[in-house]
Amino acid sequence: MEHLRVKYMSIVLAIAAINPVTAVAQSYPVTLDNCGHEVTFEKAPASAVTIGQAATEAMYLLGLSEKVKGTAVWFTQVLPEYKEANAQIERLADNTPSFEAVVNKRPGLVASQYEWYVGPKGSVGTREQFHDIGIPTYIWPADCVGKDNSVGVDGTREELISTEVIYRGLTELSQIFGIEEAGEKAVTDLKAREAAAIQRAKALDLKDVSALFWFSSAKMDADPYVAGAKGAPGFIMKQLGIRNVIESSEEWPTVGWETIAKANPTYIVLADLQRRKFPADAVDVKMEFLKNDPVASQMDAVKDGRVLILDAHAMDATIRTISGLELMADAMEKEAAKK
Amino acid sequence: MTLIKFSGLKPAVTLIGGIGILVAALGLALVVGETQIPFKTIWNVLKVEAGFFAPEVNPIDHGILWSYRLPRAIIAMACGASLALSGVVLQALLRNPLADPYILGLSAGASTGAVAVAILGFGAGALSLSGGAFIGALLAFGFVALLARLAQGNASGATSSLALLLAGVAGAQLFHALTALIIAKSADANQARGIMFWMMGNLSGSRWPDVYLAVPIAMLGSTVIYAHSRALDAMTFGREAAQSMGIRTNLMMVILITTTAILTAVMVSMTGAIGFVGLVVPHAVRFLVGVRHFLLIPATALAGGVFLIVADIIARILIPGQSLPIGVVTALVGAPAFAVILVRSSRAHSG
Repeated sequence: MEHLRVKYMSIVLAIAAINPVTAVAQSYPVTLDNCGHEVTFEKAPASAVTIGQAATEAMYLLGLSEKVKGTAVWFTQVLPEYKEANAQIERLADNTPSFEAVVNKRPGLVASQYEWYVGPKGSVGTREQFHDIGIPTYIWPADCVGKDNSVGVDGTREELISTEVIYRGLTELSQIFGIEEAGEKAVTDLKAREAAAIQRAKALDLKDVSALFWFSSAKMDADPYVAGAKGAPGFIMKQLGIRNVIESSEEWPTVGWETIAKANPTYIVLADLQRRKFPADAVDVKMEFLKNDPVASQMDAVKDGRVLILDAHAMDATIRTISGLELMADAMEKEAAKK
Repeated sequence: MTLIKFSGLKPAVTLIGGIGILVAALGLALVVGETQIPFKTIWNVLKVEAGFFAPEVNPIDHGILWSYRLPRAIIAMACGASLALSGVVLQALLRNPLADPYILGLSAGASTGAVAVAILGFGAGALSLSGGAFIGALLAFGFVALLARLAQGNASGATSSLALLLAGVAGAQLFHALTALIIAKSADANQARGIMFWMMGNLSGSRWPDVYLAVPIAMLGSTVIYAHSRALDAMTFGREAAQSMGIRTNLMMVILITTTAILTAVMVSMTGAIGFVGLVVPHAVRFLVGVRHFLLIPATALAGGVFLIVADIIARILIPGQSLPIGVVTALVGAPAFAVILVRSSRAHSG
């Protein structure tokens, strides 16, 4: 028995040596339940097109950048550590790519961050459209686990999101490409960072800390879009023992400044967006509003300088979410040190 | 018939009653909001702002009342009055009961202007969304007016109602298409958002500087319109009838249509296209005070103001912790109200 196992291991190692991408031989076919679809892979896809930055950067984190033939939908700049790899890959579109632009790359897999792009009413195409021409699809699980995309402007969360869906996405992608070990390593690293941040915050034992995550506003003085209770910011706050002043389950509800000012959160976190669709997408425009608005400027967070800036992409369930946890933990430590 | 009974009311009584209701609505808008603020606080804030001594109020409460709720209610009033008045004027001039302030393509142009600034970056930061919306609305109006004039030909030098209406439809379609084109360039997960703002209307961004613009414009526009009340009466009997009474109909049409266009463009650029006010309120008020513009115009202005203030209050409190686009409320109230008016007026005609 023992002998057999050693023999088996050596075969595995031999294969690993020949093909560096498939580090561990894995039993195909791989079958996954992905957003209500059962997808099966007989072997690792030879290439992929990613739609949505979360899917793109997850592939990069797993070391699969060489397999990515095209990317689309960029909310913000690529993480600096992937800048070089990303420069080699064609960007099909800054926003929604056309169905044919994606198909034209002959991808072995289409990985999408949102069902908005590839899903029942997908703006790029439905999953069936891709499957009919033999291209398998994979949706970043954060967009459908515990979330109903048919309700609300950006969907409505039925339950609080957790970093588990991020880890699940990484694990499943690594299974699809037959590199489970790389997936495990990525997940272990992120989990360690998450645990460390939570522990730091818990150790401070701060009482009654609350926060607001401000994404953007359609018009400068108008009601802003803020993070709902159950998205990634909700999870960050829950893990660190911070109360979210917003209770709506919508992903990004519109809430009046009157309600926000009265709730008077300890921290205000501003989303740093690269896109420019509304004036309030820019961080400095948001900051200026907070300083000059007759009511918002009276909030404690503004008066005492507890306004933080977080990459907008970390406010979605992505590999960057962990940096949001770390940012908040840092801010809380600083606050505790003052006292 | 009820119409006779109501128009039997003395005009002065009707107007004073209307002003009373308007003041009450303004007061209600101060009291009711997303959050609860006690009466005593509200009273103290009003005292402080009026220059009297009062115990100190929490600055956030003070700001909410004085910098958010009051200007918002005043904007609602100015906007409601302007849209309703524009409706009265256009319904009389075009002799079409379905005419409303947006029939000349203004709201479509405003959305195009707003998305052009927001997405394409027109004006390179110097132009605000409202500025873009205002310019877009006027451009659309200019396009419609030009088209109507071309359709009519230069021979008569007049702009007929039908040509104007059809040009309005064409202009609105064109600018809707332009908006769709610009959005398609930058579609992303929350694209619906910014556009919703302009399509459904939203008063949440109202502040004092908006008031300083909206109120004088509304007053100026109302004055111009009121000065033409006799001419508008004459127009309801037809253009020829009005001309035989010595009214220069072409000049009057130009002045009044331009006035409604500017009124509507200013309001839409501030609040987005709030629907149904300009369509329903004039009909409802005609039902109450009769068709004479001498009384109809001030009554419509008051009713439009009250209607929008109340609609905005409902929009703020219907879903706790979240505000609705006001256009949803005006449509929810307006559509059934319109149906009732339609049924009753058709009965009155047949009976």
